[in-house]
Amino acid sequence: MISLSTYLILSAILFTIGMVGIVLNRKNLITVLMSIELILLAVNTNFIAFSDYFHSNIGEVFVFFILTVAAAEAAIGLAIVIAVFRSRHSIMVEDLDKLRG
Amino acid sequence: MAEVIKHVSLWLVLSPLIGAIIAGLFGKIIGRRASHWITILGIAVSFVLALYIAKVIFVDQLGSFNFNFYSWIRSGSFTFHVGFLVDRLSASMLLLVTFVSLLVHVYSIGYMKGDPGYQRFFSYMSLFTFAMLTLVLANNFAVLFFGWEGVGLVSYLLIGFWFNKPTAAFGSMKAFLVNRVGDMGMLLGIGAVLTYFGSLSYHDVFAHKDILLGQHINIIAGLHWNAVTVICILLFIGAMGKSAQMPFHVWLPESMEGPTPISAMIHAATMVTAGVYMVVRFSPLFEMSHVALTLVLVIGATTALFCGLIGVFQHDIKRVIAYSTLSQLGYMMAGAGASAFSAGMFHLFTHGCFKALLFLAAGSVILANHHNQDMRKMGALRKYMPITYITFLIGALALAAIPPFAGFYSKDAIISAVGLSTIPGSTYAYVCVLISAFITALYIFRAFFLTFHGKSNVPADVKKDLKESSWVVTLPLIILAIPSVVLGFILVKPILFGHPGVFGQSVFVAAKYNVLAQLGTSFHGAWQMALHGFITLPCWLAFAGIATAWYFNIQNPALAEVLKRRFSWLYYIVINKYGFDDFNQIVFVRGSQKFGKFCLSVFDLKVIDHFFVNGTGRLVNWISKVMRRVQTGYVYHYAFAMMIGLFVLVGWRLL
Amino acid sequence: MIIEVLTQIIFYIFALAAVISALVVITTQNAVKGVLFLVLTFVAMAGVWILLHAEFLALILVIVYVGAVMTLFLFVVMMLNMETTNFKRGLVRYLPLALVMALLILVMIILVVSPQQFGLSHFPAPAAVSAHYSNVRALGNTLYTGFIYPFEIAGALLLVAMIAAITLSFRGPLRRRIVRPADQLKVRRADRVRLVKMKTEKGGDAS
Repeated sequence: MISLSTYLILSAILFTIGMVGIVLNRKNLITVLMSIELILLAVNTNFIAFSDYFHSNIGEVFVFFILTVAAAEAAIGLAIVIAVFRSRHSIMVEDLDKLRG
Repeated sequence: MAEVIKHVSLWLVLSPLIGAIIAGLFGKIIGRRASHWITILGIAVSFVLALYIAKVIFVDQLGSFNFNFYSWIRSGSFTFHVGFLVDRLSASMLLLVTFVSLLVHVYSIGYMKGDPGYQRFFSYMSLFTFAMLTLVLANNFAVLFFGWEGVGLVSYLLIGFWFNKPTAAFGSMKAFLVNRVGDMGMLLGIGAVLTYFGSLSYHDVFAHKDILLGQHINIIAGLHWNAVTVICILLFIGAMGKSAQMPFHVWLPESMEGPTPISAMIHAATMVTAGVYMVVRFSPLFEMSHVALTLVLVIGATTALFCGLIGVFQHDIKRVIAYSTLSQLGYMMAGAGASAFSAGMFHLFTHGCFKALLFLAAGSVILANHHNQDMRKMGALRKYMPITYITFLIGALALAAIPPFAGFYSKDAIISAVGLSTIPGSTYAYVCVLISAFITALYIFRAFFLTFHGKSNVPADVKKDLKESSWVVTLPLIILAIPSVVLGFILVKPILFGHPGVFGQSVFVAAKYNVLAQLGTSFHGAWQMALHGFITLPCWLAFAGIATAWYFNIQNPALAEVLKRRFSWLYYIVINKYGFDDFNQIVFVRGSQKFGKFCLSVFDLKVIDHFFVNGTGRLVNWISKVMRRVQTGYVYHYAFAMMIGLFVLVGWRLL
Repeated sequence: MIIEVLTQIIFYIFALAAVISALVVITTQNAVKGVLFLVLTFVAMAGVWILLHAEFLALILVIVYVGAVMTLFLFVVMMLNMETTNFKRGLVRYLPLALVMALLILVMIILVVSPQQFGLSHFPAPAAVSAHYSNVRALGNTLYTGFIYPFEIAGALLLVAMIAAITLSFRGPLRRRIVRPADQLKVRRADRVRLVKMKTEKGGDAS
């Protein structure tokens, strides 16, 4: 019998991996976007697990909309990556320090 | 009558002040003649009013008048009043102060002729008279202290009158600072009085003085002293500063940097006598503590001897007279310490007259010698300045206490009183005052012989101008010579042995210390006292002093040189004034300067400037340098910060 | 009984696959490899979702998310023509600290979602559904009745996203080089040539 907490722990692990990916990444801007997708995946899993164990459909509806928004955001994020690449000619995160104070 | 006295005393005090203000503020506008006439008018009014008050008090015998004018400061439940006490003691002092002040004002017309600060001088002198009169007439400690500080201040202004001279500036500073040290003791004493009596007025303090019996003050842990002893000693410290007793005597010689008229007025007759006046005024308190009386007696006698000894070897004529003042002040204090307060005051009056006379005569000599004060460049002046010569001689005889001159009566009374006194230290004091009688005669007649007799060492260019000074200079001399001769004779019975005596209830003497009563039993009249005086020890000592002075300066000057070389070590000690000045200079002056430099370099520059002020700046700089590293511009660093923030928030809520 | 054991085995296989491929996603140097392993993560998670009786969403995940968004990722990666980065740049300085922080956060979250709060005793396993149960129908019922308004807005949002993406990346005709014959013919000599008179240098050789 798989308890609710097992699914939640799984999603927690994915969430953490996603966070680590954002912070410990110096190579690729694309990796950042992918880590964001991982985080969103973890959150979605959470919703669906709760939806299942609470006998309710609302969680799934929520996931529906999250997927929508995630797709839109991924598209725009990639468009920004392209724009950055065209102006900086590099997508190494290390080179993007124009906000330095 | 009380209303009349109230107004009279108010005008008496204020008219010199008005003169001072007019001459001080408008002196340049109204000119020299107007300045000196205004101030002399002010003092003359005071003198006339003082005469009137004297008549009321002494002739009509209308008792004493104590009144308050107005409330000065209100502080919580305590109020400081301004008021005057007109009784026998203050009335007699009023006479002395106004009389000497008037004479010196007239004298200054001639002495300060041509000086650029003429109007300022007269203004200061009238201001001084105002402060001194306030001091004399005060009926509570607060007004006394006001006058006390006032005379100290004006003394500073007058000593440093020629402020462009560095020695004058130094002397005025020294006088003021040493005075301040004494004033601190005075202030502590006044505070103690306020604590124990709850009131500062003389009437309250004297009426309730028995409160202090049996009370103790804890000075340091474990050191209990009688409260009344502590109060009296503190007040006496103030008197020591003002009256230049040892070790606060160091300021008086340097105060000779001021013009001679002020030496005559301030440092002979008035300011320095304020200390003696104060001790006599507080005789009810002093009589309650034999420790305080011993202190007064011993310090007075020591000053009398040792300062006189310094005066024997001085070359500057004014210095000789200055040390003589110190010595005579010691006599007055010794008299007060022996509980012969009336004798001390008696000597104060006679000394006021003959010392002022001596100063003014010295001033006349200095004027004639083109402002030269060194006696080694004088000599045989009697041919040129007869009036000065005669008056100086009279003053010298009075000072040396030769009967029947004024000084004899007062000084002899003091010496006898000290001899009869039984408090601890009286034997030592008696020896000191006896030796000092010899020394007094020695130094003053040395000065006399060096200046007016012997070989003439006057430089040629000065010699051709030598002549007697003008009438404005010699008239005060003659006027002062008269009391120097007769004052003692006239006053000895009323002051010392009269009932109620000149001072009556103003002076309080406890029965066990009443040496004057003892003296009174052997008193048979002034003339008799004079004749008897010729066969007493002090008189012989005085004659011996005159003879010694004559021998060493006229007959055999070479012997003086020989002795000087044989006892050079003694000479060296005395000529350096026992090292008091050097000690003060090295320890206090340089110590304070070094301390000031230390405070500057360490506290001011390092601690405050470098550490706090600049340090704050540097701290801000450093913080911003560290904080700047957070702004990397990398988004993932910001994400990391977010992560940490999230962790902290959730963790806190969790815990 | 067997069903439960099988369920558990399947779950753990899928979960392990997801976690491992997620780790590879964030650590790999090669961007393409990263994207592909992200695809694997999504597929594994889709399997987990099916175990949670969310079949429609699991399939949507694969079709839309993997099929469209991941493909978009791949397109961008290819277009930008990235080389594999070199190892010359040193390791992240705060690697240990960040790992520790991440572990702490993980521990914290696990503390919250531990079996003590969300275990089987609190929330029993969902009962099996009937054979006629259709997840799509159930979801559609909820979506089109209660959530019709957010649904429409989601559509509008997608439109906006599309416009934004195009605006950001479209270079437009200004940057292209098209031949315009009409402009070519309108050119005059003055637009192209300008004669400048210059002073001759003094004393120079004609060489």
